Amino acid sequence: MLVLKGVAASPGVAIGPAVLLPGESFALSRQYIGENEIPAETKKIQAAMQKTLAELDQCEKKVLDTLGTEYANLMSTHKLILQDPAFHKTILHKIQKEQLSAQAAILFTLQELTSSFNKIEDPFFKERRNDFFDVGKRLANNLEEGKAKFLPTITKSSLLVAHNLYPSDTINLQENHILGFCTDVGGKTSHTALLAQSLNLPAVVGLATASKDVHAGDMLIIDGENGLLVINPDRYTLSNYRKIQRDIKKTDALLKTINHLPIITQDGHPVKLFVNYDPRTDTKANKHLITDGLGLLRTEFVFMGTPLPPTEEEQHDVYLAVAKRFDMRPVTIRLADLGADKMPDFPLDEFDQDDNPFMGCRGVRLLLKNPDLLRTQLRAIIRTACEVPAQVHIMVPMISSVEEVRHVRRAFNEILHEFAEHGKHPTNKIALGAMIEVPSAALALDGMIGELDFISIGTNDLIQYLIAVDRINQEVAHMYDPCHPAVIRTLNLIIQTAHKRGKTVSICGELASDAKMLPLLLGLNLDALSVTPRMFLRVKNNIRNSNFEHCSDLAQAALLMGSSEEIRQLIEQNDQHENS
Amino acid sequence: MVTHNLKITNQLGLHARPAALIAQTAGSFVSAMSLSKDDVSVDAKSIMGVMMLAAEYGSTLTLIAEGPDEKEAAAAIKQLFENKFNEDF
Repeated sequence: MLVLKGVAASPGVAIGPAVLLPGESFALSRQYIGENEIPAETKKIQAAMQKTLAELDQCEKKVLDTLGTEYANLMSTHKLILQDPAFHKTILHKIQKEQLSAQAAILFTLQELTSSFNKIEDPFFKERRNDFFDVGKRLANNLEEGKAKFLPTITKSSLLVAHNLYPSDTINLQENHILGFCTDVGGKTSHTALLAQSLNLPAVVGLATASKDVHAGDMLIIDGENGLLVINPDRYTLSNYRKIQRDIKKTDALLKTINHLPIITQDGHPVKLFVNYDPRTDTKANKHLITDGLGLLRTEFVFMGTPLPPTEEEQHDVYLAVAKRFDMRPVTIRLADLGADKMPDFPLDEFDQDDNPFMGCRGVRLLLKNPDLLRTQLRAIIRTACEVPAQVHIMVPMISSVEEVRHVRRAFNEILHEFAEHGKHPTNKIALGAMIEVPSAALALDGMIGELDFISIGTNDLIQYLIAVDRINQEVAHMYDPCHPAVIRTLNLIIQTAHKRGKTVSICGELASDAKMLPLLLGLNLDALSVTPRMFLRVKNNIRNSNFEHCSDLAQAALLMGSSEEIRQLIEQNDQHENS
Repeated sequence: MVTHNLKITNQLGLHARPAALIAQTAGSFVSAMSLSKDDVSVDAKSIMGVMMLAAEYGSTLTLIAEGPDEKEAAAAIKQLFENKFNEDF
């Protein structure tokens, strides 16, 4: 038995025999051809080009349906590369002048390209070599008429082991009896990982040596919950994992039975439960969830990986598709929280990367410095709101003062006015609210609450800023503490201030799906929670098992406590009591 | 034959999207067109060639167009550069 530790890319446990994806080396069957064979080889290339183009078309469509435009753009770049006249010319030249076989011609063209790209110093340009390689590989595979593709040869349920897996491969896994996969390279947020999550395939990536350590037919366990790959497990481990697999299924089944039930506590206190929605990883199972609406649409992905800022049209298409998905329910769109760890590829006005980016120009600060960015996004959202029955909410990230709220509100009103002049009006009044994640906004909320329609608390950043702890810094990461009295008191202050003015408060950070913290949050009289689709039913189940009166007592007790330790003890005790 | 010296004024240089724009635009004309930087010369109709120039912000390229519609072709490419490939808003 061998256990490899990698990165958990997609949850769940898969057990089965291994199949290995053949490597990327081409075995050259024949290098040179006779002069009389030139026309036949030329024809072969042209047929392969047609076939590859059709494949890319199909792939583009499939990716568009599953993952959205961002990934589909990648496929259309691949189409452009395939149709590149210089690419054609080089390959044809090699066949016709150098009398190379079609296969050798592609291979040598790729080798030449790779060496040219390797000479480029700029990593941004260098990276593009992968795109050419992917296209070339596809083309070479399509050369041999009737040459069997690897995946369709798999006839029984298996686990796939590969050095690297392209998104275009991943999308075809399920229909080919693959129960889960693992790769040597890749990270949690790679395209392949996101795709695996949306397809509900357990996956572990970043295993470094998996494709060398695993032999075809080995018994494997892919533990997508803990990021482990177990090769040839002993009997004890195997039976243990089979039990875990059954438990996961059982819990999932149990949770499904509560989908149609109301979201209220045992003693009838209603709570709204929204989803944090990502159109790139939407699944069929997610569509069946009965939610109160969309609590948080992060829009950074629309701005990332593109050399140009997205146009109003492009953004509108994304928001419209999302809003339609939620019909008449609330749809909360957060303005782009760019900056810090999310820098777009396109240039920004007045932007210097600073030493301390989380305290620097990000969120609303960056938007106010790049007014075109702000106005284009507002226009795209407002335009969407004119076309759908959903109640659109706009959430502004990183608000730290009332002036920022006023600036955004002014731009928002101006655009609304422009739309009105063209006879266009939002179907429902658009709510404009703030994400409260900066302590100054929490403390001075009374000064700005009058200008806000709703409040949402981003707990991850709020806790970081309150305790002045960078979660990425190993030296201090342990100090990140949701039970800190300052956190509980600040949450209470925000909720009390908002309620005094009749505004609702929701929470959309990780804290919202923390089962132990839930009673405390409910007790603070939070109106709504927004959680990932994966956690949705679990949180709903926990709400339904809570008693609001009891939660209120718990919260009042916690507010009087002066240390994390006391608060943690209180909620631990409560948790054990609930479970007994 | 028409020759233009073109300066790259968009911040990111000739990455995938401008390269695609150039190749597509050049491809819509009959004339042969080349772009060169330092001593490297590539077919302007090839996305691969244009990307391979790895032309960054501030560098200058030479465009040569030759053929029946060389004037229009060269003007169209020049326009793309002048508009910064619609990148700097």
